[in-house]
Amino acid sequence: MSQSTLFLRKATGLVRSWSVFDAFIYAFFSINLVTLGLYIFSQMWYLEGGLIPTMIVSGVIIVSEVVVYAGLIAVMPRAGGDYVWQSRILGGGVGFVLAVTGWWFILWLWTPLYADMLRHIFFVPLLGIAGLKDAALWFAWDPGAWFLVCVLTCVFVTIVIALGMKTYAVVQKFCFWVGNAGLLVVCLFLLFGNQESFKAGLEANATKLFGAAPGVYDATIAAGQAAGAIAPLLGGSLAAIFLAMPYIVFFNLWPNWGATLYGEVKGADDFKKNFAGMAWALGITTALGALLFLLVNKTIGWDFVTNANAAYWSYRWGYTPDTPPPLYIWPYPALLAMFLTTNPAMQFIVILAMSMWFFGWAGTVFLSSTRVIFAAAFDRLLPEVVASVEPRTRTPIWSLALMVVPGLIVSALFVWDLLGFRSLTLASTLVIAVTYLGSTIAAIVLPYTKKDLYEASPIAKYKIAGIPLITVAGVIFAAFLIFLLYQWLIDPNNLYGISYRNVSSLVFMGVMYLLALGIYLGARFYRKGRGVDVDLIYKEIPVE
Amino acid sequence: MTRIFFATDIHGSDICWKKFLNAGKFYNADVLVLGGDMTGKALVPITQMPDGKYKATLLQQQFILNTEEEVRDMERRVGSRGYYPFRVTPEQLAEFEADPKKVDAFFHRQMLNVLEKWMALADEKLNGLEKQCLVCPGNDDALDMDDVIRRSKHVQLAEGKVVDVGDGFSMVSTGWTNITPWKTYRELPEPELAAKLEAMIPKSADMSRTVFNFHCPPYASQLDEAPAVDENLNVKDAGRSLIPVGSTAVRDVILKYQPLLSLHGHIHEAKGTARIGRTLSINAGSLYEQGVLQGVVVDLDPRKGIRSYSLTTG
Repeated sequence: MSQSTLFLRKATGLVRSWSVFDAFIYAFFSINLVTLGLYIFSQMWYLEGGLIPTMIVSGVIIVSEVVVYAGLIAVMPRAGGDYVWQSRILGGGVGFVLAVTGWWFILWLWTPLYADMLRHIFFVPLLGIAGLKDAALWFAWDPGAWFLVCVLTCVFVTIVIALGMKTYAVVQKFCFWVGNAGLLVVCLFLLFGNQESFKAGLEANATKLFGAAPGVYDATIAAGQAAGAIAPLLGGSLAAIFLAMPYIVFFNLWPNWGATLYGEVKGADDFKKNFAGMAWALGITTALGALLFLLVNKTIGWDFVTNANAAYWSYRWGYTPDTPPPLYIWPYPALLAMFLTTNPAMQFIVILAMSMWFFGWAGTVFLSSTRVIFAAAFDRLLPEVVASVEPRTRTPIWSLALMVVPGLIVSALFVWDLLGFRSLTLASTLVIAVTYLGSTIAAIVLPYTKKDLYEASPIAKYKIAGIPLITVAGVIFAAFLIFLLYQWLIDPNNLYGISYRNVSSLVFMGVMYLLALGIYLGARFYRKGRGVDVDLIYKEIPVE
Repeated sequence: MTRIFFATDIHGSDICWKKFLNAGKFYNADVLVLGGDMTGKALVPITQMPDGKYKATLLQQQFILNTEEEVRDMERRVGSRGYYPFRVTPEQLAEFEADPKKVDAFFHRQMLNVLEKWMALADEKLNGLEKQCLVCPGNDDALDMDDVIRRSKHVQLAEGKVVDVGDGFSMVSTGWTNITPWKTYRELPEPELAAKLEAMIPKSADMSRTVFNFHCPPYASQLDEAPAVDENLNVKDAGRSLIPVGSTAVRDVILKYQPLLSLHGHIHEAKGTARIGRTLSINAGSLYEQGVLQGVVVDLDPRKGIRSYSLTTG
């Protein structure tokens, strides 16, 4: 019989365990196949890397990210994430600038992107199915409608924050099961359908629900070909697959959003559980994505999907301004699958169920920002008032305002394409990748610069060839991030639209970093005048 | 002006205690306040094997310790996380496993021993520094810990007292909390906690110069949000379901008396600040297992009240 290795007494906070499956659910929603995935896959119509191999290869590399974040959490649990890890290891200034840009400012840009996903997977298909064709097309194309959805997205997130995480955790679980049930039905339709029935269903539904002209299938193929659709489902050279990754990480770079930060007097188990929750989410989402698109290929035809994407986005991006897509809406694969039936009730219920992928996921977008704003206020880098909570509704009015107001301004710039903002989609991922790079560098140096902290952690024994696992994983993930940043910023093949050649992109990102730096230096100067040395906040007190 | 450094919930961490004693110099603070829960939560046996070597398991990883130096290093690592290391033979370990009361008694002795060593270290380090050092045990600290603190020359036991902290400011302290799922040493139902708090607050005190040092944070203040647990103490929803677990009695007395400042701990994850009416309430939080001393530096100005404050991660 094995002997006891630990005796615990009754003391506050000593919890037993937590469920890996729960952690999996939240990580699974973070790399959200239906919202982030389908949205960004549809924009990759002109890339030569196969979608499925790109998902798989990037997923394998992103396991290194999972190791890095599970490791950081194991060494410094309950510390509050990137901001505190970076501030502690790399210094307060670096931590503040990277955290507020990556977890706060850039979320302004995500507001119109979230809204764009919401209108295309919720408003447009449901209104069309309900027989409100004009309203559906208004939501699909009118900038005012898109902006309205931006406002509604902010309202939804505000409600989530006011309800609190306890309620939202329940909502998320509900959405997980309902959303996946919807996806299962979509997959069953695709499994048992065939291309002939799809063509007939498309013709019947697209003309009736969204006013497409007869012959929509062939017209879509022709429009896509004219736009230059080439993206394959499978295959592509390794170089082409890597060049598709700066796009696909918009979808799968986020398994760490599901990480759990709790647990006391725990050890390697918590590291393994956190790793498992995130890694399973990454693996299963990748497998699910591959399965979905293999079924799409079988019944709808990959050719049709990629041509429909090309026809839609080349028109939206202004490359073919005189050629509206024959299928005059975003080619949402779940809706295309539901064209296999003409039963509107079935269509409505399944599309509504699929929208749970959005509602179970979107609520947390401003929560991370709220946490960073609060942490910065506690460090006196922002005024105390921004961390205040309205007592009646328990809503952090100020921090929400700091998200919603600039978020709506950026939304307006994006929606009406002012100052070239509509080209900035991938900047939303770039800025967070820079923040991740900061945390990854912190993880790489952690075993050497915070030796005591690392040695006293549950991951100290995990080594590869004598080198700490967190350092090895950190080097791999940092190399990946640097590759992504090179492709985004230098973009030698002119693929991503946010390189140094895009002045709007450079100015937008530059303004964000300068704003963050300005706030940090300004606060430091102001606090110094009031006798507070901001540098002392993260400085370690000597032990001896 | 009086500068207070407040930290809390160091739970047996040697490193955090040493940092706390050095915080006066480091932050140039006049008054050091430890808000409770000084004692550790875990015992880690270092078992002697038949070949004379030792083995220990820390954070679910087993270590074979070949030399006395390695054993001492392991004891240091265990102690730095706030756990109590102890050397045993396999036979002694078997006796502990067979008799939970023996474990409890040993645990208790270890807590007292370590606290005695800490007080001795404090007397040595604070000697001649002219800094006030107040300690108020929390709900996880056994009641006889108070006697050990009382015997210290330079550490003042603050439990239940009104203490002058300089410049006309006074501090009222208690480590008692509302009922927790863990049934710890200093817990009371809310009505009894309210009566206890009322009894210790001087009715004639100038509340604009009074600090409440109450281990338990006020209810629904954001300083008391902890992950919800089920009846078996498993964390619900992988820690996402945060619920308020603070005390309504603490909240009520803060709202009723509106002291200048209230300092709290107890909920390690809920580091932050909040306004309860006019009162600035602060939970310094805790990262004791990592040897990180979270705290707050507050400057009290006789004319302006709170001149400034900063939450620190030292």
